[in-house]
Amino acid sequence: MPNPPEVAHAILRALLPADARESVSGDLLEEYRDSRVPAAGELRADLWYWRQVGGIWLRDYWWLVVPAVLVLVVGDIFNTFRAPSGASYLDGLPKIVPAAISPLGVVFLLALATAYGNWRTQRWGGGFVAALGVSVIVWLFMAAWGSATFYPFAQVQQSNPYWVQAWHWSTHRAAPPTVLGLNPDTPDETFLRWIFWDNVGALIIGGIAMLVASFVFGGIGAILGEIRSHWRRAAISPE
Amino acid sequence: MADILGSFEQAVLLAIVRLADGAYGRAILKEVAVRLDRDVAAGAVQATLERLERKGLVRSRLGSGTPIRDGRARRFYTVLPEGLRALNDARKTHDSVWRGFTRPLKARG
Repeated sequence: MPNPPEVAHAILRALLPADARESVSGDLLEEYRDSRVPAAGELRADLWYWRQVGGIWLRDYWWLVVPAVLVLVVGDIFNTFRAPSGASYLDGLPKIVPAAISPLGVVFLLALATAYGNWRTQRWGGGFVAALGVSVIVWLFMAAWGSATFYPFAQVQQSNPYWVQAWHWSTHRAAPPTVLGLNPDTPDETFLRWIFWDNVGALIIGGIAMLVASFVFGGIGAILGEIRSHWRRAAISPE
Repeated sequence: MADILGSFEQAVLLAIVRLADGAYGRAILKEVAVRLDRDVAAGAVQATLERLERKGLVRSRLGSGTPIRDGRARRFYTVLPEGLRALNDARKTHDSVWRGFTRPLKARG
């Protein structure tokens, strides 16, 4: 009998709470084998299966994706649009405000996703899948956001002293860092080219950071889950 | 009167009523898709079933698996008296709202 994609199947089983794991995964498997593969072939049936898993994930965790995206978008807007002096409009506000709309805010939401996923599914994999899913969707959104806003934002940035100073400092450093032997920050680099690579770098580093955070929080959730299971087993059979 | 059921909730409940003893997850999914004449996400049906059970309108129990699902248990659903009352109330409201209109509606002029 044909089988759905293994990765999708593993994600589904990690995603579902204990009381729904067997029945829901069995329902999808039955639909896959009985209807989807005979009607449309394995490739389309695989796509259908992935869509179902994605839909189930989104239904459970959309409420974490939306604030994570908002945090990054609002943070990007305040980072781009500054006072004519170059100062941030957030200066003078309580520190929690700029912290909340910084990458720290996203880290907090990833930790929340892991905790909720672990609690909901009672499995360490549940927390990891929750955090990883939030990371992937947020990263894809930011890639699209960055592509759409790069040029209009750059027009604003290149006339703001904060950004002009950052560009000048970056391209005139005595010992600029190199990436794989390349040094994009040279004194003759235009502002547009510099800000483009700055955005690309931020996207790459942001993606890696979210991935690492997902693994770290997922791992913490796993350890806590194991400790909790151990205590439960000890409570049931103390001898 | 309790909260009026949404149209998707009604479709799911009526599917359970129609399927009677055969009302398990996948069968409900297919029945709802046939009645609504469109593809329906498994997650949407699952979320609705969980919500209906939390509201006390349906009850579920685990039943036997079959070879096509590698023996995994099926969860069978039954509509409770409260669920039937909710369906009847929804029907009454629907009929009241549509009373006096011919079907299908036609544009004036």
